[in-house]
Order: sequence, then structure tokens, then C-alpha cells
Amino acid sequence: MSMRLPPVIETRGLVKRYGDQVAVAGVDLVVGPAEIFGLVGPNGAGKTTMMKVLATLLAPTAGEARVCGISVMEDPIEVRRRIGYMPDFYGVYDDLRVWEYLDFFARCYGVSAQRRAGMIGELLEIVGLADKRGAYVETLSRGMRQRLCLAHTLVHEPALLILDEPASGLDPRARVEMREILRELRGMGKTILVSSHILPELAEMCTSVGIIDRGRLLRAGSIRDIEVSLRAGAVLQVDVLGDEATIAAAEAWLSNAPHVGDVLHGDVAMGLATRLEIPFDGDGNDQAELLRSLIAAGYRVTGFHQATSDLEEIFLKVTGQDEQEGAA
Amino acid sequence: MTAATRPMASPRRGAAREFGAAVRTIMVKELRGRFRGRRAFVVLTIYLGLLALLAYGTYVLIAPTARQASQFGGAPNASATIGIGIFTVLSFFQLLLVCFIAPAFTTGAISLEREKQTLDLLISTPLRPGAIVVGKLLAALAYVGLMILAAIPISAIVFMYGGATVDDLVRQQVVLLVTALGLGAIGLFFSALIKRTQAATVLTYCAVLVLTIGTVLIWIFFSILAQRDAVGVTRRAPEQILWVNPALAMIDVVAGTEAGNVGGLNGLLGQITGEDITNAGGGVTCNGNVCFQTDDKGNVIGPGSALPGAPVGGVTVACPAGMPADQCAASGGQPIAAVGQPQSAVGHFWPRYSITVAVIALLATLFSMRLVVPAGMRFVFRRTRRQTAAAPPSPGSVAMEPPAPPAVPDVQADIATAEDST
Repeated sequence: MSMRLPPVIETRGLVKRYGDQVAVAGVDLVVGPAEIFGLVGPNGAGKTTMMKVLATLLAPTAGEARVCGISVMEDPIEVRRRIGYMPDFYGVYDDLRVWEYLDFFARCYGVSAQRRAGMIGELLEIVGLADKRGAYVETLSRGMRQRLCLAHTLVHEPALLILDEPASGLDPRARVEMREILRELRGMGKTILVSSHILPELAEMCTSVGIIDRGRLLRAGSIRDIEVSLRAGAVLQVDVLGDEATIAAAEAWLSNAPHVGDVLHGDVAMGLATRLEIPFDGDGNDQAELLRSLIAAGYRVTGFHQATSDLEEIFLKVTGQDEQEGAA
Repeated sequence: MTAATRPMASPRRGAAREFGAAVRTIMVKELRGRFRGRRAFVVLTIYLGLLALLAYGTYVLIAPTARQASQFGGAPNASATIGIGIFTVLSFFQLLLVCFIAPAFTTGAISLEREKQTLDLLISTPLRPGAIVVGKLLAALAYVGLMILAAIPISAIVFMYGGATVDDLVRQQVVLLVTALGLGAIGLFFSALIKRTQAATVLTYCAVLVLTIGTVLIWIFFSILAQRDAVGVTRRAPEQILWVNPALAMIDVVAGTEAGNVGGLNGLLGQITGEDITNAGGGVTCNGNVCFQTDDKGNVIGPGSALPGAPVGGVTVACPAGMPADQCAASGGQPIAAVGQPQSAVGHFWPRYSITVAVIALLATLFSMRLVVPAGMRFVFRRTRRQTAAAPPSPGSVAMEPPAPPAVPDVQADIATAEDST
């Protein structure tokens, strides 16, 4: 028997059905120690279901799920001691103070009184709530609650954190803070499984990503590999100033440029730039060349950028491809 | 967060101790919220003030009539009459409040956690479902229990007047506490069963109504049917239906204070149990060594007279019709039972009620435990328990390739555990 540590997460042929509906349709996933694995997918893709199975809140219909080598079905209590779970929707006990909230969960995990005292301060420091120690939970802003919930997942020093959409509903500043905290936790050697429906959000902090849709894990791997495969279908947004004739000319010019598909444009408004959307299958160099020649051709460009990957849109393509391949 | 991961608890830690710690965890959390600020204490003060006012009001109402009656020999003892009156009013008022308050603390216990989406966080901790349910129930009962116990000094006013004994007060407390436990557990059960707190609350109070009023209606209904079926023979519905009725249990307790176990409440109990405590030929009721002649309904009809040799204590004796009261009392009479008359039904219901309701509370709590387990995991938990109960898991039986992560029998962890418990 090898002494190699088991993967922190391991699922084999994981299936979860709700009646006729298939939420997770046979997922094989392996996440090693100290990885930050991002689970990306549109709403209803099965991310939350997968996470709930791993958090021992749902029993899988078929297949296996193990955390640190322990089956979620055979010893759920032991699995719970090794994970910190933050659901996508959750409430807080608003009649408790911040430190009492953490103290409660620490007690739930059987953390000794001696260790609770020091640990609560440390955790509040990590999530940046040290000055809110005595405040009532109900007075916290949404971002603060999110961070408090994150802190509660850490009270028992779990090996694995399961965070379901930790940045949803947060303003940009709070998102950045959340990201910084996750980076810090990665530095502490935690394995983190995090989900989102926005790819760029995950791209900045994950070591690897899995794309999930309709219960299937479509792609999994390092962030670079996924991004490259997604960039192939990128859309450029070009903002051009001018009247209708100018825009029409620009459109015609762009249609003839290399790597460009059918150009779409929005409403033409006087004095404002008109946005042209260009399907583009070239790489970075091709983009730069396109911009250079567009300006050289005399068009007044106010904006030129790649559309932020709207995952739902990319998914339509990715899943469309898969279906075509399946039919062929 | 400095050290590496350490095991949270030693595996050798007793399961019972772990359960106790988990229950305490839930209770601490619940009570922190409940006793925060002044609210809990203000409510308690108002409650006690209300009880005291009620006791005083009863005194004001009863005292003149009791004294008058006593002067004309109508009642055995004016002071005792006042004491019994206060005891009766306080007992029923407290019972009424417990019936309203006890379920109110538990109908939201689980469903509110569901509605506020805190339940997933709670049940994804290693806390056993049983510990969660028991902790919630005890935390709710803690406040109701405090209200009940804090009212003892007010009930103890009756000791100044007499009429009710310490035994009566103890019985009253047992019935109140058992009622709080039973109704609290029923509220908890509906809270765990039904998603919405509102619906759980409505159903719980429906259950309270069924217990208090419904059982009586059912009993009467069945009694009428039974009488029709058996021609000529008066039969009654099974009295077991009434074993769950808190009002009847309290009537039983209060009836115990009626002098000589004779009076309106005793008569009522007698009708239910089928034991007719009235003595056909009339008799004598003695309180202390003062005895009164009574009619066949147990009502005092003659003047009281001190009789030497009369049975001490509240005792009713039966004598042949026409025998003078002093002769009857002096002879010591014969216990009612001995002359073919059944004994009073007092003391029949409250112990049966207490046991029945305690059993119901236990069942409700057990069912609630099953309902708190995550929906998809119910059978998993059952299987886990059976496995651990049947045999220790045989090593290597499952496809667990590498050894389980180090379950370090850490001395430090044990020390920490020991300190935690202090």
C-alpha cells in the first residue's frame, strides 16, 4: 500500500438526480492538495449540487465522492471535520455578535475553549473584521457577512474549503477583498474548491478550473489551457466615432480584415461612438495588427477591447460544439 | 491558524460526553440570543406581576364570602377556602400561559433556521442531529421552566392561608413542567416537519387545542355512543383519551385540595372515571376534628361541630341513613369504599398524564431528529449508525487505498479537551 496522500477531492462517476432531472451526470474530478480549483458554469449547471454532495448535505444517486480519501457516504461526520462549507445562499444568526458567531461554530466542531479564544481573533484578522468583533452580525454589510461566513469555515482548520459563489452579490471592492483573502488562504496551504459563473473572477486566483454544464464536466485543467481554448471564440468590441456612412464604411472595412467574422453594430448616435462587435479568431498579435491598420485607415477609434468572457455565451458555443461532435 | 491541522477531538472521548457538549453548544447559542438585553427579564417581571395581581384579586373576591360562610358554618375553614381559591386560580392561569408560551418557543426552532437559510451551515457541522434537536428543546424549555419555577413563591402565598399543601404545589409544578415539555416537543416536531414557521405554528396550536378541548369532545362523543349501544348499562368511553389532557390533569391536582375530597371537581373526576364518590345516604365530612353532615352530593348540610375521636384530616365517612352526625363521626364511620362506594378519583389523572405526555415528548423529539438530517442523507446516517453499532469497520474492507489521514492520538488534544470541559 503506497503512503501517498489521497487527493483532497476525488469523485468517480458522480451522478445526482432529482426525480427526472439530472443535476450531475457522471463527473470524474480529482483535486490535489493545495490547489484552488474553480468550478465554472452557468446557473443550474450542477455546481451547487456537486458541492453539496461533497459537503455531505446530499447523497449522490450513483458514483463515489471522497474527501481526503474518506467516502462522503460511509463517514459523513468525519468528512465534515475536514471541510469548511460556505453555501451560495445562507443566513446568519443576527442576534449574535461577530465573535459569538465564530465561537458557536468553533464549539460545533469541538474546538477547545482555550484555542477558541485566540483563534477567533486570528480569523477576524484574516478576513479583515477585527474591528467588528463585538458588533452584531445583523449590522454587517453583505461583503462583511460573506467574509464572516468564510471565517466560520476556518474555525476547525479544515483541509478543504468548499465555497459556493463566494463573490456573488458583492461590489467590486468587496470582490477584490474576497480574492485577496482566498490568495492568503492558498498561501496557508488550504485546498479550495470555489465556484462561479464568471470566468475572469476565477481566472485570477485559481490554479485550475473545471467547466461544468448540464451536469457534465466539459473541460478541466490549468487556467491557461482553458483560457486559450476559450479565446478562440473571442469577440472584439470596437467603438468608432462617426455618422452612419462612416460606420457602414468601417463595418465593410472590418469585414474584409483577416480573422474577422460577421460584424454586428449597435445603434448609431451622433456625437457618440458606435459599438461594433467582431467575432475574432486570431491571437494577440493579430488583434494589435487589426487595431493598427484600422487607425491607419483613418477611422476614429475610441475603444478597442476583447469582450469580457460572458460565460453563458461561451457555453452556448462550447456545448454547441460538443453536441455537434456527439452527433457526428 | 499557526499550527498544522490537529484532530479536533480524541476518538476515545465518550459519545455521551460529546453529545452533552454538543447540546450545550446549541443551548449557549440559543440562550445568548434569548436572554440578550432586557426583554427576557421584562417579560418575566410582567408575568410574575400579573400572577401576583391575580392572586390578590382572587383574595379580594373570595375573602368576604369565605368569612361569611365560615361564620354561619357553611364552610369548614375560611382561611383554607381562600387558600384553595388562590391555588386554583393560579394553577389554571399558569397552565393556560404555559399552553400558549411553551409551543411559541419551539415552533420556529428548526423552520426558522430553514427560512433564514442557516440550517445548512448548522447541519454541515459534525453536530449530531439529536444534539441539535435536544439542545433547541432544552433552550426553549429553559425560559418556560424559569417562568414556572419563578412563580413558585407566588403560589406559595397559599401556605399562609392553608387549604393547599406542599404536596399539592409539587403536583402543580410537575403538571406545569410536563406540559411545557410536551407542548414544546410537539412544537419542535412540527417545526422540523414543516418548512414554514407559520404553518408549523398553526398546526402546533391546533394540536394544543386537540389535547385540551378536542379530547374532551371526543370523550363525550364516544360516551354518548357507548351509552346508546349498551341498553340499560351506563358505559363510558375509554378514559385513556383524557390522559393527554393538561386541563384535566390540573383539575385533578386542584381537586386534591378540596376538603375531604368532596366537591365540584371531585364530582367531575368521578363522573369521568365512572366512580361515584357521592354517598347515597349522606355522610360526614371532617376537616381536622370538625365534622359536618353532608348530603348525597357531598355538600355540607349541617352545622359543624367539634367531635372528639373524629378522624383527623379531611376524610369523608359514610354512615347508614338517619344516623346522627356525632354518632357517625364518633364511630369513626366506615371508609366509603368499605360500604360499597368507590373511592375518590383524585390522584388518578395527573400521574398518568405526566407519564403519557413525557412519552409523547420523547417520541416527538426522536421524530424531529430524523427530520433534521439533510434530506438526501437520511438513509446514510441510519446505515452509519448500524455499521458502528454492529461491528467496528474491518480494516481494508473498503476501497480506501491509502491509510486514513493521521488520527493523531495527540496528548495535547486530550489536555485541551479536558480543559474545555472545565
